Amino acid sequence: MRSAIIRLCHGCLTKTWRGLREWCGDAAYERYVQSMSRRPGSERVLTPAEFYVEQMNRRYSRPNRCC
Amino acid sequence: MKRILKIALWLVVALVGAASLGTIAFRRGEPINATWFVLAAACSYLVAYRVYSAFIAAKLLTLDNSRATPSERRDDGRDFVPTNKWVLFGHHFAAIAGPGPLVGPTLAAQFGYLPGTLWLIAGAALAGCVQDFVILFCSIRRDGKTLGEMARQEVSRRGGFIAQLAVLAIMIILLGVVALVIVNALKSSPWATFTLAMTIPIALLLGVYLRFLRPGRVMEASVIGVALVMFSVVAGQWVANSPALAARFTFGGVTLAFALIAYGFAASALPVWLLLAPRDYLSAFIKAGAIFSLAAGILLVRPQVLMPPLTRFVDGSGPVFAGKIFPFCFITIACGAISGFHSLISSGTTPKMIQREGHARFIGYGAMLLESFVGVMAMVAACAMTPGVYFAINSPSTIVGATPEAAAQTISGWGYPLSAATMTAMAHAVGEQTLLNRTGGAPSLAVGMAQIFSSTIGGERLLSIWYHFAIMFEALFILTVLDAGTRVGRFMIQELVGRVAKPLGRMNWYPGILVSSALIVGAWGYFLYQGVVDPFGGINSLWPLFGIANQLLAAVALVLATTILLKMGRLKWIWVTLAPSAWLITITMTASYQKIFSPNPRIGFLSYANVLAAQIAAGKIPVAKIAEMQRVMFNQRLDAVVTAVLAAMILVLLVEALIQWHAILARGREPVLFETPYVATQLAEGD
Repeated sequence: MRSAIIRLCHGCLTKTWRGLREWCGDAAYERYVQSMSRRPGSERVLTPAEFYVEQMNRRYSRPNRCC
Repeated sequence: MKRILKIALWLVVALVGAASLGTIAFRRGEPINATWFVLAAACSYLVAYRVYSAFIAAKLLTLDNSRATPSERRDDGRDFVPTNKWVLFGHHFAAIAGPGPLVGPTLAAQFGYLPGTLWLIAGAALAGCVQDFVILFCSIRRDGKTLGEMARQEVSRRGGFIAQLAVLAIMIILLGVVALVIVNALKSSPWATFTLAMTIPIALLLGVYLRFLRPGRVMEASVIGVALVMFSVVAGQWVANSPALAARFTFGGVTLAFALIAYGFAASALPVWLLLAPRDYLSAFIKAGAIFSLAAGILLVRPQVLMPPLTRFVDGSGPVFAGKIFPFCFITIACGAISGFHSLISSGTTPKMIQREGHARFIGYGAMLLESFVGVMAMVAACAMTPGVYFAINSPSTIVGATPEAAAQTISGWGYPLSAATMTAMAHAVGEQTLLNRTGGAPSLAVGMAQIFSSTIGGERLLSIWYHFAIMFEALFILTVLDAGTRVGRFMIQELVGRVAKPLGRMNWYPGILVSSALIVGAWGYFLYQGVVDPFGGINSLWPLFGIANQLLAAVALVLATTILLKMGRLKWIWVTLAPSAWLITITMTASYQKIFSPNPRIGFLSYANVLAAQIAAGKIPVAKIAEMQRVMFNQRLDAVVTAVLAAMILVLLVEALIQWHAILARGREPVLFETPYVATQLAEGD
C-alpha cells in the first residue's frame, strides 16, 4: 500500500517536472534532436546555442504576447 | 449509478452558481463578501465548459480525434511540435493573458461591481471563449494559417488585407495605451521606477547566460532572474529612502514616455536573445506566480467588496472615463470578456503544437475561461477598497483637483466619503509621495492587491513591499507586451512596406530594421505622448480607442469564423458565432459613433476640439497655453479620424462577408473550403 502511494507520488512529480521543463522551453532542444533523428540526413543538426537563437528569432517574429 | 451521481454533482454546481450570481446581482445596501464572486464565476465557467463548449465541439465543429493535426503531419521539432495538452494550455494561457484583464475591469469598476462582473462572466462564456475556440479549430484545419491568411482565402483578398491592416492598427494603439498605463504608475515614484529599470540589466545578464554560458537552460536562468527582480523590489525602498538616489529616479510623465520609446526601439532593433526573450521569460514566471497568489490571497482573506453594485456614474459622467454602461462597459473590458487579439494567438502559434483536434476545446475555450477569472479577481481587488479611495486614485486632477483636500472634497460631494488624511496616510504606507490622479488602473489594482496580500502575510509593515511588488509585476507584464509588440509591429511594417520598397522587406538588412523600428515606435510613441500631455489624463480618450480597436478585431475574427462555418454547411448552429459578431458590431459601431460625434466634450473627440477652438477664439486661453491647446485639438481630431477609419474597415469586411453569405445561401453557390485534406492519425488512442 505504502509503496503504491510512493510510486503514485513519484509518478505525479516526474510528470509535473517534465511538463514544467516543456512549458518553459528547457526541453525544446531535446525535442528538436528527437524530431531530426526521425528524418536522418535531411539537414545539419544545429548545436544547442544555434538552435536557441534560431528559435528565439522565430518565436518573436509573430504575435506571441497578448494584451 | 455513476451517471446519476454525475448529474447530481453538476446540478449542485449549477445551483451554487445561480445562487451566487443572484446574491451579487440583488444584494443592496450592505457590503458583500468576495467569496460570492469567486463562486459565481467558478460555477458559471464549469457549467459553460461542461455544457456549451461540449455542444460546440460536438455539433458545430464536430472535432475529430482520428484526424492528424498539423503538429503530427509536419513535425519538424521547431514550429510544428506535438505538445502535451496541459503544457500547451500553459503556453496558450501565458500568451493570451497580459495586462488587459487586470486594467480593464479596474477601470470599469467606476460603474460599480455589477456591470463589469456580469459582462466578464457572460461575455467570456458566450463570445470570448467561442472566438478563441473556433478560430483555433479553423487554423488547425489549415496547417496553422494566420487570421489574415485565412481571411484572404475564405472571405476575399480585400478582406485579408483589411484584417492585416486592422491587426497593425490595433497593435499601434494598444502599445500606446499600455505604455501610458506604465507612465501613470511610475510618475514621480522613484521606488517603482528603480525596480522596473533594474529589470533591464537583469534581462541583459540572463540573455548572455542563455546564449553563451548555458544555451537554452531557461528554467535555471529564470530562477536566478526572478530572485534578482525580487531583490530589486526590496532595494527600491532603499533608493526611495535616500534623498540623493531618489532624486535620480524621480521623473515626470514626458521623460518617462521618452524613456519607454527609447526602450521599445532598442528591444526591436537589438538581437532578440539579448533583451526581449530573457525579459519575456522573467515576465512569464512572475505572471504565473502573481496570478496564483492573487487567487490564493482572495480565497484566504475573503475581503468585503465595498463598492456598490451600481454607482451614480452609470449615467455616463464617470471621472475615470466618460460614457454610459452601454456601450462603454463592453468596450472598456475587452480582455477578460472577449479580446480580438487572442485570435492572433489562436491562429498561427498554438494550432501548430496541438496534438489532437479534441484538445482544442480545453485549450481554446478553457484558457479563455481562466483569463476571464483573472478579470473577475482584478474586479474584486479594485472593489475591495473604499470607493472614495478608488476614485481618488483613478480620477484626473482636472476633475477632482490636484491636492488631497480638493480631491477629498469633490469625491465626498459625490457621496463617496473620503478624508484628505486617508489619502496622505495611504500614500505614505505604500511608500509613495502621492496616490492621487494615477488614472490607468495599475496603481489602484496594486493598492487593492497589497491590501489583500498584507492581510495574509506581513500586515501593515509589508504593505509598501506588496504594493511595489504588484506595480513591478504589472509594469513587467506591460513592458513584455510593449517590446514583443514593437518587434512584431516592425515585421508587419517591413512586410507591408517591403511590397513597395523591396530592400525594406529584407528582415536582416540593418538599415531596414532601424527604419521600420523607428516607424513603429514613432507611431505608438505619438499616441503615448498625446496621452501624457492630455489634460483629462489620456486614458479617457485612449483606452476606449484601444477597446474599440480590439473589439473590432474580434468582430473580424467572428465574421471570418461565421463564413467558414457557413461554408461547412453548419447553418443550423450558425448563431453560435453570428450572435456574438452582431453584438460586437453593435457595441463597436455605437461606441465609435459616440466617440466621434457625441456633443458631450468629454466623450466626443470632435466636440472637445470645438470647445477648445471656441475658447481660444474667445480669448479664454492664456497666450502661453494656446500652442499646447492647439496640439490637443489636433490630437482629438486625429483620434476621430482613426476611429472612423477603424469603423469603416470593419464595415467593408462585413460587406465582403455578406456577399459571400448571400452567394452561398440565396444563390446556392457551391462553397469552396480551403481545408487541408483528411489524414488519419498514427497516434495511439490514449496519447
